[in-house]
Parts: sequence; C-alpha cells; structure tokens
Amino acid sequence: MNTGTVRIVIVFLAVMLSACRSLVSPERPPNPPAEAPAPQSPAAAPPPPAAPAPTRQFRLGSAASALVTQARARAAAGDYPAATATLERALRIEPENPLAWIELGHVQLAAGNAAQADNMAHKALGLAAGDPDAQAAAWRLIAESLRVRGRNPEASQASAHAEALVPH
Amino acid sequence: MARRPRKLRVRRLLWGSALGVFVIAVAAIAVYVYFLDRSVTQQFQGRRWTLPAQVYAAPLELYAGAPLGMADLSAELARLQYRATDKLDRPGTYRRQDARIDIALRATRFADEVRGAQVLTIIVGAHSIEALRDSSGADIPILRLDPLLIGSIFPTHGEDRIVVTPAEVPALLPAALKAVEDRKFDSHHGVDPEAVVRALWVDLRSRQIAQGGSTLTQQLVKSYFLNSRQTMGRKVREALMAFALEAHFTKSDLMNAYINEIYLGQDGDRAVHGFGLASQFYFGKPLAEVDLAELSLLVALVRGPSYYDPRHHPERALARRNLVLKLMADLKVISPEDAAAATSRPLGVTTRAAGAYYPSYLDFVRRTLRRDYPESDLTQEGLKIYTSLEPRAQDEAEQTLDRELARLERTRSPTSVSLDGAVVITSPASGDVIAIVGGRRIGYSGFNRALDAARPMGSVVKPFVYLTALESHRYNLASIVQDAPVDIRMSNGTHWRPVNFTRQTYGPVPLVRALAESMNQATVAVGMDVGVTHVAQTLQRFGLERAPAQVPALLLGAVNATPLEVAQLYTGLANGGYRMPLRAVRAVISASGAPLKAFPLELTPIAQPDVVFEVDQMMQQVIERGTGRPARAVLPADVVVVGKSGTTSDLRDSWFAGFSGSHLAVVWVGYDDNRPTGFTGAAAALAIWSRVLAGLGATSWSASMPESLTEVGIDYFTGLQIEGACANANTIRIGVPPSTQLAKKPGCIAAAAPSVLDRLRAIIRQ
Repeated sequence: MNTGTVRIVIVFLAVMLSACRSLVSPERPPNPPAEAPAPQSPAAAPPPPAAPAPTRQFRLGSAASALVTQARARAAAGDYPAATATLERALRIEPENPLAWIELGHVQLAAGNAAQADNMAHKALGLAAGDPDAQAAAWRLIAESLRVRGRNPEASQASAHAEALVPH
Repeated sequence: MARRPRKLRVRRLLWGSALGVFVIAVAAIAVYVYFLDRSVTQQFQGRRWTLPAQVYAAPLELYAGAPLGMADLSAELARLQYRATDKLDRPGTYRRQDARIDIALRATRFADEVRGAQVLTIIVGAHSIEALRDSSGADIPILRLDPLLIGSIFPTHGEDRIVVTPAEVPALLPAALKAVEDRKFDSHHGVDPEAVVRALWVDLRSRQIAQGGSTLTQQLVKSYFLNSRQTMGRKVREALMAFALEAHFTKSDLMNAYINEIYLGQDGDRAVHGFGLASQFYFGKPLAEVDLAELSLLVALVRGPSYYDPRHHPERALARRNLVLKLMADLKVISPEDAAAATSRPLGVTTRAAGAYYPSYLDFVRRTLRRDYPESDLTQEGLKIYTSLEPRAQDEAEQTLDRELARLERTRSPTSVSLDGAVVITSPASGDVIAIVGGRRIGYSGFNRALDAARPMGSVVKPFVYLTALESHRYNLASIVQDAPVDIRMSNGTHWRPVNFTRQTYGPVPLVRALAESMNQATVAVGMDVGVTHVAQTLQRFGLERAPAQVPALLLGAVNATPLEVAQLYTGLANGGYRMPLRAVRAVISASGAPLKAFPLELTPIAQPDVVFEVDQMMQQVIERGTGRPARAVLPADVVVVGKSGTTSDLRDSWFAGFSGSHLAVVWVGYDDNRPTGFTGAAAALAIWSRVLAGLGATSWSASMPESLTEVGIDYFTGLQIEGACANANTIRIGVPPSTQLAKKPGCIAAAAPSVLDRLRAIIRQ
C-alpha cells in the first residue's frame, strides 16, 4: 500500500482518461463584433399634396436608424429575438417615434405574432398625430396584421385608411 | 505427540490468519486507494464548478446626441473600473483630453452579441455626446459600453465565483503563488516531503496541527474535496488525493484549477472563491487588469482571507502583501525596483464590496427568474442574466432616499424606529425597471419594501377613479362635480363620512381641479356615480393582480399595493393606455453564450388613448396647481411632469407616483410598524420623487394630443371656457372630445378660429 500500488492503480486509470484534457470550460471566443452597418435613411417621402396638412414628419435619428438597419438584417436572417432586442434599443433612444414602433411591429408580424404587431401599430398611430406618412405606415401594418389573421374586410378598411392618408 | 502437531497447527493457523489478515488489509487498502483515485479523478475531470448566474446592468448606449456629459461618462467608466492612463496600453483604460475621451474597450459579451476589444473616441459636448469614432476616425452611429456586473445569484451560504481561463490570468499570478505557497510546485508529486517534515515538527512541538506545509495541490484537494476538519487521517487522505491528481493532470491544469477554486473572502452569506471573483470583489475589475501590488494582495489573502481582510484589517493586509512582494523579489520573480514601487502603493481596494451590489434589484431579478428556472439552474449553471438596471438611476435613487429621509427625520422628534421608504423607477415607454430601492439600508438584503410592503394606496388610486369616469363619456375635464359632505350608509348600517384633507368643502369644482387638489368628497361623488365595481375593474385592467374589495373606501385608496404594483398601474397611464409588464430581465444566455430566454416588450391595450391623455392632463395640474406643486421648485421650469400624491389615514403612508417623458417613479415613505409618519404624500414622498427626477435629468412628458380631442382653454377654478384675450393666469389648456359644449365665461366670446391656434400650439409643443 504505497506508491507502488497507487502507481498501478493510476496507470490503469490513466488509460481511461485520455480524452478529457481541458480542465476549465473555456469562456466565449473573442469574436469580432458585428457592428451596425452604415445608417440608411428611413422611408421619408415628401408629403403628398392631397393628404391632410401634415404638421410634422417623423424620422429616425442616426443611432436608431443604424439599429433599424441591423435589426432588419437580423430579421431577414430569421433571428427574430435578436432583431427584437436591437429594435428595443432603438425604442429606448426614441420611445416617442412611431417609426420605431412600426419596425418592431413588422418584426413581430414576421415572427408570427400578429396580435402584438397590431398593438404596436396602434401604439404608433397614437404617436403619429400630424404625420400622415407615419400614420399610413401604421395603417399598412395594421392591414397586414389583420390579413394574416384572415380578417380581410377589416384589412381592406385599414388599407383604405392608409391610402386616404398617403395615396399611392 | 498429539501436543506437538497441535502446537504446530495452532502456529500455522495463527500465521495463516495473520497472513490472511495482511492480505485482506493490503487488498482493502488497495481497493480503497483504487476507489479514492478513481473518485478523485472522475470528480475532478468531470467537474464544473457550480457557477452562480451572473447578473449584468443595462449597458450605457453611446451615440451622437446621447444626453451624457463628461461627468456622466467619467462616472460610468469609474463604475466599470476603467483606469485613466496617458497611453491606452490595454483594454480597460481611457485617456481624457479636454472634450475628447479615448477608451480602450474591453472585449465583452452582450445578450445579443460579442464585441472584441477596440479603441473608441468620444467627443463630448456640454450636455451630450457630439461624436463617436473608431480608431480609424470613422463615425460610429451607436455603441454600448460594457454591461456592469452587478452581482450573482449564489446559493444560500454558498460559493460565488467567476471562472477564469489561463488566458485571463496574469502570468505573474502562478509565479507569485509558487513563490509564496509552494516553491517546489513544478517538481513535486503532490506532496512536498520536506515541507511535511518541517510542518510535522512544528505540529508535534506545539501538540496541534497548525502548520501548513501543504502544496498547492494539497490546498486544492482540501478546498475541492474535503471539509476543513484537521485530523491525521484526513491529512493522509489529502496527501493520497494530491498524489492521484498529480498523476493524472498537468501542472498547468492544476494551477488553473487552484486559481479558480481557492477561497479568498466573505461577503455576508456569499463566499468569494477564485481569483477571478476576488479581483472583482476587492478591486472591481477583471483579473487580467490587476497590477503587481493588487496581485500581491490577492496572493496574500490565500493564507487567511478574514485575518488579512484588507477592508477590516488594512495594516495586516498591507504587511502580508509587502511580505509577498519581498518573497517574490527574493526569488527573482520580480525585480527589486518593481517590488519597491509596489510596496509603496496603497492597498487600493474599492470601498463598496464587489464594486456594485444592488440587493433590492437582484431580489426582483431572482423572483422574476424563479418563475422560469429552478433555483439550482440559477445558482449552478453559469447563466448570464442581462437586466434593465441603470446604475446611475439606482445610485441617484438610493442616495436621494437616504438623504431626504434623514432630512425629514430631523424635522421630527426622534423615534426609536427610523423612517423608511422605497423607490421604483421605470422607463415608461419600454416597461424596463431601471432602479429598485427596497429601503434605507442599501447593503442590507432584508425586507424589500419596493416589492413586499403592500400598503393602502390612498389618493394615488384617484386617477383610476377619474379615468373610469371619463370612460363613461359622461364627464370631461371641465365637468362640474360637487365637493360636498358625503354620507354613505354602509350595508352593515354604519355611515361612511369621508372629509377632505384640508377639512374644507369646495362646492362645485371642475373635474380637473378635484383631482389636482385631491378632494376626497368630490372623488367619492364621482366614483359612486360611475360605480365602485367599474373602478375596481379599471384597476385590474391596469394590472392590479388581487381583486380589490368593492367598497366605497376603495375610491380613496383602501386597497393595498406595493410600490412596484403602483408602478405597474401607472405604466398604463404613461403609455397612452397600453399595459406592458414591468421587466427587470431582458435576456438570459447560457454559460456558452446560447440565448435561452428573452423577455420581449409586449403591449396590451387597456384604455382608450384619448381618455388616458385626459387623465394625464389632470395629473399635470396636480404638479402645476395641486398637491404636487412643491415639485416645481425642484424641477426645471420647462420640464413637464405629471403625477399624484397619496396619503393614508393618520399620515401612515406617504406616496407619490408619476412620470416624465423619460422616467416613471413611485416613492413610498412610512414606518415598518405602520405608525403615523406625520407627513403627507406631498411633504415626504414628493420631495424624494421630484429630486430623483431632477437628478436624472428627466425630460418633459410630451405626449401629443390624440386627434380625437380638441384643445380648449378653461378656467381652472370654474371650468368655464376661456379663449383669446380673456385668458389669464388661471387659464389651463385641456383636451376635450370635439362635440363637447362647454359653458363659456360671460363676455368672452370664443375666438373664431381656435383650431388654427391649436394647430400652432401642437407644432410648437413638438
């Protein structure tokens, strides 16, 4: 009972261990960050002459724009949770901007959550007073969210709202 | 003849059994050693330290236009333990030159991505960031600073640690450990016989087992496998196990295991294990960033974390640290010059344990996650939890609560118990809970008043009474209601006769004034008219979980709610009639970085936006002309905030709940034993509320008027419509449904085109 025995035991066991070398689970690899691509100017067409006199026009600032661009890429890749997280960052910066809510609503819709998309569009509509472009964008989102739920008559109505605000 | 063989037989038998016993003993010991070896090896190989979930604050968002000055940035960098240097030599440092600040960012993990180390340049204006550039000078649209580690969820009386990989360990640390604890570490087989003999000699002479003589491997075994009882048998077992470990694992594996395993401090229930956490605990920064003096202090602590505790026994710690430095210099691990320089340095430990530690907030995080995860997952699986905590808001709320409560106490005769309070701050647009203060004793993780003190709401319930009234379409803000003595006969035959706080009766008043001045009689009249049942339903729609008792006293706040619940209720008012669950946790990711759970923003429509807008306008008058007026002396004149005070009978509870454009805050002040405070909501809670909002640089509540409302001017005292030249200091502008016919002030004909004026105002208000 001594080193000899232990050695034998150890040699026997040494065969068994082979593979597991690393003792400490490695932390994450230091990947380079996926930074936001260059900002893209959001939909901001000049106000149409026929629409009710617009009193303002919402635009996203460059920070929120960059996040929206990044979120769209993530949503296009099917990563809706990451897209949502990115848009929530944009919303924290511009919580009163209906365009940010509309973007989030579109991601919700793509992720299969039409009811949330509808709610977010209505929330945007409440914020968009005076901006027919933003209001029309909200109505179009409402129309889409209704259509995917098979509520076609209401969807057509919502589309008509959008069309009345900003004729195509 | 018969005797002899018998003797022989006996002797043979004796020898035989002795041999048998010997063989069995050897076999037993061999088996023991075999199993010991096997168990040691298996346990050690397959081991994962139980890793408490690490909890992170919200990272600070940097972008051109972000409302952050140099002071804000400096404070945040200090929280993150970035050090000012002349040369940006490594991650975790920054350099400031006038309005420019260069930061060598650490590599960091966010909930949704990993960012590598990089250098960032910020140009800072007076009150906001002007530009953000990368190392090549290109503009960066937006970038997050590191999320601050605010604590971990460790088991009760359990180990907390941050595991580090060899790459994250300064090269000097293993060298220092060897120099101080185990000089022959590289050559021995787990036990250092010379050291054992030396230790035994000392032990024998002192007749107790006291001397170390343990190799690093033995210390590792002791900490990892054994309890701390000192017996001879245990010593042997420890040596055998150390030997087994040495046979199976490389020296560098064992060294890294040691660095992650060893006990280095205590913080209440929390045992600080490993150098990774110790570095955060004592210096608030990653292990990779400690300097020679700091590293030496950590090594010094191995011998006795409580005896050499640098926060409680700085002299001992300093002497031991300097001894470590001397040993390292003697063994030529470091140069004498470096040793001398480090010896002259102060201990440099942070004053607050673990840099940042927010028990009230962590309590909420833990409760949130318990719904989805068993406790063992939270305390063992190394989850990373990303929260909405804003350290700046949390610090502001903690300091303001303590300062104001102390000031309030000085105005009263001393009592045996101290006045206490709670603060909840949220970001109204997202439902993010950004700060929770559960009481005055910040480091004390006891009774969390923000979450557990369910107290009568008092008048903070009133906005929901008026919201219910507006929803009936029988009221608008200018509607005249009677503030007259109330006498309600209860079902048990008693009478309920609430009076106003001022003991006065105001007669006919417009709805807006009844709320602004928190008139009890008028509120009961309105509430009884629309129905207690409907008011109760409104509260539940806005998020009150328990169904309130449907009694008339509900109209004056006879319903218990915690500060957090009140914040939930007011979120719907701050959000144009959408409820969103208050969130502390944004995302949970696994130890390997896989997203496990997200708590996305969700909206539920609970009230018409125009009705909510009207209520908010009434609450604006609370601040401008009503019980909340003292806030005006604290907040900048151009910042519009809305809110409502609450005071319960005999002044037991003092409440204020309300919001700006950027922050929603609820403050409660009272005694734990429910004795009267002597303060109204306006006197105590409002003082804290307004100072917290002012300190956070709150922006105006600026919701745009819904298109379903028309703006009109009315007289605050009479509710009569006033336009144009007749407007005076008592004129307030409110939204009413377009069909509303208001009584006009005699002699003041409404201007022909108020709508143009309204449009203009709407434009200006943006």
